[in-house]
Amino acid sequence: MRLQKCFELALNILIHSKLRSWLTIIGIVIGVGAIVSIVSIGEGAQASVQERLGGLGADIITVSPGFQRASNGGFRVLGGGGGRGAAGGDGERSATPAKSAKNITQKDLQVIRPIANVLFINGIVSGKAKMTSLAKTASVSIQGVDTFAWKNIVNTELETGRYLNPGDVNVIVIGNRIAKSVFKQQLVLNWMVTIKDKPFKIVGILKQSGAVEEDNAIFMSITAARQILDKENDNFDSITIKVSNPDYVDKIINETDTKLMLSRHVTDKTKDFTVTSPKAIQERIVEATQTFTLFLGAIAAVSLIVGAVGIANTMFTAVLEKTKEIGIMKAIGAKNIDIMLIFLFNSGLVGLVGGLLGVIAGSAISLALPNLLSGFSVPGGKIITVLPPYLLISALALSLLIGMIAGVIPAYRASKLKPVDALRYE
Amino acid sequence: MGEVEVQALREINIVILKGDFVAIMGSSGSGKSTMINLVGCLDLPTRGTIYLDNKDISKLNESELAQIRGRKIGFIFQQFNLIQNLTALGNVTLPLEFQEYSPEEARQIAMRLLTAVGLGERMYHLPMQLSGGQQQRVAIARALSNNPDVILADEPTGNLDSKAGSDVINLLEDLWKKNGKTVIVVTHDAQLAQRARRMIQLKDGQIVGKA
Repeated sequence: MRLQKCFELALNILIHSKLRSWLTIIGIVIGVGAIVSIVSIGEGAQASVQERLGGLGADIITVSPGFQRASNGGFRVLGGGGGRGAAGGDGERSATPAKSAKNITQKDLQVIRPIANVLFINGIVSGKAKMTSLAKTASVSIQGVDTFAWKNIVNTELETGRYLNPGDVNVIVIGNRIAKSVFKQQLVLNWMVTIKDKPFKIVGILKQSGAVEEDNAIFMSITAARQILDKENDNFDSITIKVSNPDYVDKIINETDTKLMLSRHVTDKTKDFTVTSPKAIQERIVEATQTFTLFLGAIAAVSLIVGAVGIANTMFTAVLEKTKEIGIMKAIGAKNIDIMLIFLFNSGLVGLVGGLLGVIAGSAISLALPNLLSGFSVPGGKIITVLPPYLLISALALSLLIGMIAGVIPAYRASKLKPVDALRYE
Repeated sequence: MGEVEVQALREINIVILKGDFVAIMGSSGSGKSTMINLVGCLDLPTRGTIYLDNKDISKLNESELAQIRGRKIGFIFQQFNLIQNLTALGNVTLPLEFQEYSPEEARQIAMRLLTAVGLGERMYHLPMQLSGGQQQRVAIARALSNNPDVILADEPTGNLDSKAGSDVINLLEDLWKKNGKTVIVVTHDAQLAQRARRMIQLKDGQIVGKA
């Protein structure tokens, strides 16, 4: 009951000190609004990474030529197992650029094949080529695949048609974006296109996948692709491995790494290939996004701290201004704790109202941002924002807490005023 | 505050009985307000003892003093000292709510008291919407809300015109005569002092006359 009265009195003070309270509240609104919008952008970035890379499958491992070495703390494009395996090495690391690296060969494929729990291995050649449809030409990316393995590895379902079959020649399966957006006239099943002067028939169109690479690719048999892209036999640009269970991914990455290093006669220092998985890449990007969000959030938190100092300042002023009323309340029976609670509630309310408006402002910014920035594209797509309930609730709780903490000293001071002195204060 | 220690009161030895009506008079600086603040538990004496209901209040802590102020004493000030942001009703319920009365109970008591002091029509007015005399009547209602034994009034008519002043004097007299309250008034007002049963004259912190 008394708590309720103290709360009412605190609310009364807040309502009757409009300008000063509002100015203080603005400080909190800015801080909380900034945090909410920044975290929602960060969450959005994570969600979009997860969505885009999630489509690649958790049971896939890729082997590619080249090995990028990076120092700790930087963004690492190391192979999951390989990177971890090499992490114990010394600090002198140089980069082996992908271009100068030796290709992946048929021999590598043979080394990987006997590894336990490897289900399918798909040697891939890839490159760009000109594709013509109805006298319009576009540069597209070609993936030459092992038709049998690819059919079993590919994660994206067909929108229409079929996958490639062994023995297929001069037929292609195309990614969703190629079909829908590259040419003015949408490409449909059984349509004939020419790629580097050779005719191909579209036998399948993939559904839209999470992975941009798949949406933008044309899949054909490796033999056809080698001709079109002028690639040597026996060489691959990458290998995709499907394992029997996502749990084995890390183990098989390690094993592949070790075996390939032996067969290619390289050491940790001279390593010229990378074994990785979409899962590992995803984890690393999410980690980087989180770090970045945390960094921006910390900057926003600074403004919240400034806001808290503002509350403390306002509360000191309020206590000074209310000195006489504090004296009156004490004269009519208010205890120290009552006075303390009134001012604590008051500063908590300032924080809470600021937090509430900040959450609203932050949410509004976060909802409006994707539309405002629709013209801009960030690496890997559009900006999306996510507003998880935990963010809104914890922003509110934080602002209430900050308000109350900022009010502790002023409230304590108010409660300790001697009634006779307070009454005399003009 | 100051560097120089001022003895506001010294060698005071006085007994005020329950149900008495005492006026304390004296020029400004004579120690009248200090005396009433000590009796009202708003201040503590540097030396000496004060008994209220046979209990030494000069050694109590702030929380115990607050309890006594809230339950046994009703204050009336020269400046009315109402909370400006609360209505007349809000001001009168406040002491009750600090004493854990339920809001409804406090409301009932406050409405009855405000009606009794003739402000039944103005319960929802803010202090600034009331005249000085009306504000002082709200203050009297507030002082009575906890049904205290002792009413302490510090220059209650000091800021009022003579009509409003005499209304307040009548109210105080009624409290003493009809309700049996102990009333202690600090005043310059001879008209008010004459109505009291006893008068104490202070000068330079000492009692110079009793009547």
